[in-house]
Amino acid sequence: MTTSERPLTILIAALGGEGGGVLTGWIVSAADSLGYPVQSTSIPGVAQRTGATTYYIEILPKTRSELGGRRPVFALTPGIGDIDILVASELMEAARAVAAGFVTQERTLTIASSGRFYVMNEKVAMADGRYDQNRLLAAIEKNSQRRIVIDMEALARQHGTMVNAVMLGALAGCGRLPFGPDVLESAIRADGKAVDSNLRGFQAGLAAAREHASAAERPDARRRQPEVADLQDLEDEICAHMPLAAREVVVEGLRRLAAYQDSAYARLYLDRLAPIKAADAQAGKDGALLRETARHLALRMSYEDVIRVAQAKIDPARRHRIERDLGVKPGQPYAIAEFLKPGIEEFCSILPPILARPILAVSKRFGWLDRVHVGMEVQSTAILGYLRFRALAALRPFRRATFRYKEEQASIERWLALVAEGATRSGDLALEIAECARLIKGYGSTHKRGTQNFALIEERVIRPALDGRLPMPRAADAIASARTAALTDPEGETLQSCLAEIDAQPALRIAAE
Amino acid sequence: MERSFKTEVESLKLGNGDVFRGEGILAVTKALLQSGVSYVGGYQGAPVSHLLDVMVEAEDLLAELGVHVETCTNEASAAAMLGASINYPLRGAVTWKSIVGTNVAADALSNLSSPGVLGGAMIIIGEDYGEGASVIQERSYAYAMKSSMWLLDPRPDLPTIVRCVEKGFELSEASHAPVMLELRIRACHVTGEFPASDNRSGAASGLNKLEGPPRFDYARLAHPPVTFIQERLKVEERLPAARKFIREQKLNEFVPGDLSDIGIVVMGGLTNSVLRALSRLGLADLYGQSRVPLHVLNVAYPLVPEEVREFCAGKKHVLVVEEGYPDYIEQAINVELRKADIQTRVTGKGPLPNTGEYSSEVLLKGVTAFLAQAKPAGLDTDEIVARSARIFAHMPAAAASLRDLPPRPPTFCTGCPERPVFSAIKLAQREVGPTHISADIGCHAFATFQPFNMGNSILGYGMSLASAAAVGPNMEKRPIAVMGDGGFWHNGVITGVASNLFNKGDGVLIVMQNGYTSATGLQFMPSSKASRAGAAPGMDVEKTLRSLGVTWLRKVRTYSVSTMTKTLKEALRSAEHGLKVIIADGECQLARQRRVRAENAQKLAAGKRVTRTKFGVDDEICTGDHSCIRLSGCPSLTVKPSPDPLRSDPVASVIESCVGCGLCGEVAHAAVLCPSFYRAEVVSNPGWRDRLLFWLRRRIIGLLDPRMDEAAA
Repeated sequence: MTTSERPLTILIAALGGEGGGVLTGWIVSAADSLGYPVQSTSIPGVAQRTGATTYYIEILPKTRSELGGRRPVFALTPGIGDIDILVASELMEAARAVAAGFVTQERTLTIASSGRFYVMNEKVAMADGRYDQNRLLAAIEKNSQRRIVIDMEALARQHGTMVNAVMLGALAGCGRLPFGPDVLESAIRADGKAVDSNLRGFQAGLAAAREHASAAERPDARRRQPEVADLQDLEDEICAHMPLAAREVVVEGLRRLAAYQDSAYARLYLDRLAPIKAADAQAGKDGALLRETARHLALRMSYEDVIRVAQAKIDPARRHRIERDLGVKPGQPYAIAEFLKPGIEEFCSILPPILARPILAVSKRFGWLDRVHVGMEVQSTAILGYLRFRALAALRPFRRATFRYKEEQASIERWLALVAEGATRSGDLALEIAECARLIKGYGSTHKRGTQNFALIEERVIRPALDGRLPMPRAADAIASARTAALTDPEGETLQSCLAEIDAQPALRIAAE
Repeated sequence: MERSFKTEVESLKLGNGDVFRGEGILAVTKALLQSGVSYVGGYQGAPVSHLLDVMVEAEDLLAELGVHVETCTNEASAAAMLGASINYPLRGAVTWKSIVGTNVAADALSNLSSPGVLGGAMIIIGEDYGEGASVIQERSYAYAMKSSMWLLDPRPDLPTIVRCVEKGFELSEASHAPVMLELRIRACHVTGEFPASDNRSGAASGLNKLEGPPRFDYARLAHPPVTFIQERLKVEERLPAARKFIREQKLNEFVPGDLSDIGIVVMGGLTNSVLRALSRLGLADLYGQSRVPLHVLNVAYPLVPEEVREFCAGKKHVLVVEEGYPDYIEQAINVELRKADIQTRVTGKGPLPNTGEYSSEVLLKGVTAFLAQAKPAGLDTDEIVARSARIFAHMPAAAASLRDLPPRPPTFCTGCPERPVFSAIKLAQREVGPTHISADIGCHAFATFQPFNMGNSILGYGMSLASAAAVGPNMEKRPIAVMGDGGFWHNGVITGVASNLFNKGDGVLIVMQNGYTSATGLQFMPSSKASRAGAAPGMDVEKTLRSLGVTWLRKVRTYSVSTMTKTLKEALRSAEHGLKVIIADGECQLARQRRVRAENAQKLAAGKRVTRTKFGVDDEICTGDHSCIRLSGCPSLTVKPSPDPLRSDPVASVIESCVGCGLCGEVAHAAVLCPSFYRAEVVSNPGWRDRLLFWLRRRIIGLLDPRMDEAAA
């Protein structure tokens, strides 16, 4: 009895609906065509609807005559540390197989897509809930004998095919199968479904795996503001005086605000940053405080009002992007409908304060604010729809006279003052206060909730910290925790309990003394 | 149905000399035809859905063989089929998902197993246990024991599975008892091959009909006073007859081994996993030879005392590999050995866990622990323990480095018509406040996961409304019961609706009318728009509810989130007492896409006008709060890095897979979200009107903003 003989084991990790079953079928029929004993199992069940799912294959690369009537007994479940090849259509699913112990340095070749299909927990987060991609990659790298990481999703899209064909190609090119790519290719042809597109995907996966390609970096999709001639003097000034760490952000903010309003507004931005720059230097933050404050300040000063939205909706660059996304051919007709539902507050935001205040007061009294909204679908590609946005965008020169402008500027000044005051106590504290601007974003109820949370944290944590009622290293931590808590659930339960905890702690300390 | 089974149907036609290749559950299907069944019935559910699905598609073949196929409305009606046919020389098989299906069928099962079987009766159960299971984790074993039905648990190897089906009918007839054949999830989907035989027609069948009933015989009824005699027959006659047959036909297997002072008794279905564990410890080879003797129970119930005694005699220690709790087999073996005064030590639960699936990891650790305990003569068990430890050495670090990996549960498909209903419930609850939600079985149970997290209770299929009967009268707010149309016809209409009306109950019932039993693979049901015969079965949820006496009834298109929210608020707040039913109407998107895609492809090829709709998010307007995702959870609505160099939070993004269902826009309006969402409609093969209008718009807007014109170029 020779106990060392074992089959080749392949574990496929995929999401329901990606065609993992078809992929498994191709591999099985390829082995079958050579007369090799093969077995696959799966757990489709409920996992079929975009849930994580796995398929498991065992192949014994021996023909019937070599076996002489003996039949191998294959296992139905993958074994810990017993996988020869792991193929995963998604990076986190590859890591899941690693976490489960299937992958080992002794044996496993991991073929994984670098692409992410985020899980619900990552998507529903109020800020950034994405799992650290580097941790996934590191775990795969550390536990595999060898790894091939390619952007299968991108390859599939590029070749107009499903990801399973790319996976098959990568498997064919990995060099660990007991048969050549031609056998798998024949399996696709024999299957007879979507043969052309599947073969395209197969070839793409094959080439990528053979090139041993580690995932090509995705191009930086960040859209930086274009250079503006008018701002050259100001930019030179920034380069001359601002700490290196902050320069790029400040220049970006400057250009952004000039585009948002005008160069005077951009100038105001730099003026507002001057005291922060001094505070940064004094606190020895090497530009870190300045950079973060400059980043948030630019965002806060380019707050999302009706005028900005209208401007964005009729921006020709946006049209280009949508056309590219949709893949429309030159001259091919398309229409775009925008979903808008403005209410009394949006209407008042572009009125002068003298009109807006009484309207808002009355609306609040009668409870109209949350109830009265006008839902509309505006066709920005049609002439009347376009003109509506154009008219709103044309209000830009009058922005400074609007109610929203006054409110925002007052709020910005208050926040900046807190940052500057924080810097006199500690650079870390100031940085945490600056970061709290992150809470204020979005539209309607989201914006309102963020503003309220900021006010709450200001009153219960920032103020006590600035007044010395919270001891120093803990004060910065408390602000960070409260900010994280505010971004944990939209109902504000986590924030409330976090604040209660912060409140309770100094009391304990005093009691202990 | 979700997929076509054309090739599978072809393989059902194979005969002597052919080799069948395919998955386990289809091998069972083929084995039924080889056994000469007269009818097949059942209720779909993973992992046995394919059995019925294939049968339905194999209509022509079945007509040739005179086999009747019944797609039952629930498991009780499937079990009831066996209950009458047992009085005739008819072989029949029914199938369902267990434990739940067996629970539903329990009444009929007790009744059919009492009078005894003439023609073989077989129940194919998909034992939905362990990884991938969607039901309560219980064993079907207890049903076999209490009702005196025999439980086959074949080794997951196609020839063995097929033999067990064929021999199972003979066993049923020889012992006059029904037989259950259980296949675990992976065994249903395992692929392999077996030498096929010719299909057979039943002795009596659709081709060769019975003339009429036999003479009246009270003894054939499950009715007192003969039930008292039948109880004795089950234990005193049928059980010994079954044991005799099992032993004579060698249904159980013995694998010899040189470590003869120990042994492993293993349920048939777990044999391959045990052999692999032994092989990784260097104690078995790839072809099923083992150094540790094995007793493979392809018949899990009843045990054959002689076999147990023979296997255990002379062994100092035996391991019982029996998945799930209670440890019926381990107990029975202990009793048997005690009675026979055989001093072999029996271990099972202990080295192996009481609960949970016996995965490769569990078995490897369990077998190692057993060997370390048993210390068989001629084996260095320290080396075995060290070898096992080496296999697992890398695990702690790997697991620790990814400890907080978030789960990826299944969810509603892209464009699912049921998702918007939960968006509406979420919005309605913001105003009305939270209330008890009775969840049910079906795709809508995905609402219990993120981002909805809805459901305060979940009961068996179709029981949501019935379960709310205890909560409603004791709670300030009306409960909401959610039920699919599948669950409605499965039993919800009687257990839920009729009971509620009969008791003049209150509450809100949402019936998801998507037209199929979608979660099990898109089968037709009574209110589908079509049937396997073609024409619609003609039953209607709304008409049925009205005829039962429901007066407060609204039918709302599911995607109309605002209307749905309003209707829900009205139902929850209404002063009127009584059941309020909302029919949430929207065809299953999987089914719809299958149809529409094919239609569109045809139209495109024929040069006809086709509009493609896709939603999008303006990544410069989105600020990355993700409220929209929390209200929708659509797989095609995801996040991507913000293109804004100053922002760190990712923005929402609609990916390629969007089917343009419209929920994004509806939610943006109903919840007053942000102005980021847009709907794009692209026209392929446009007519002259499309072209003219588009050209005109483009020119005029191009005049107003010349940069737009560059876009056209």
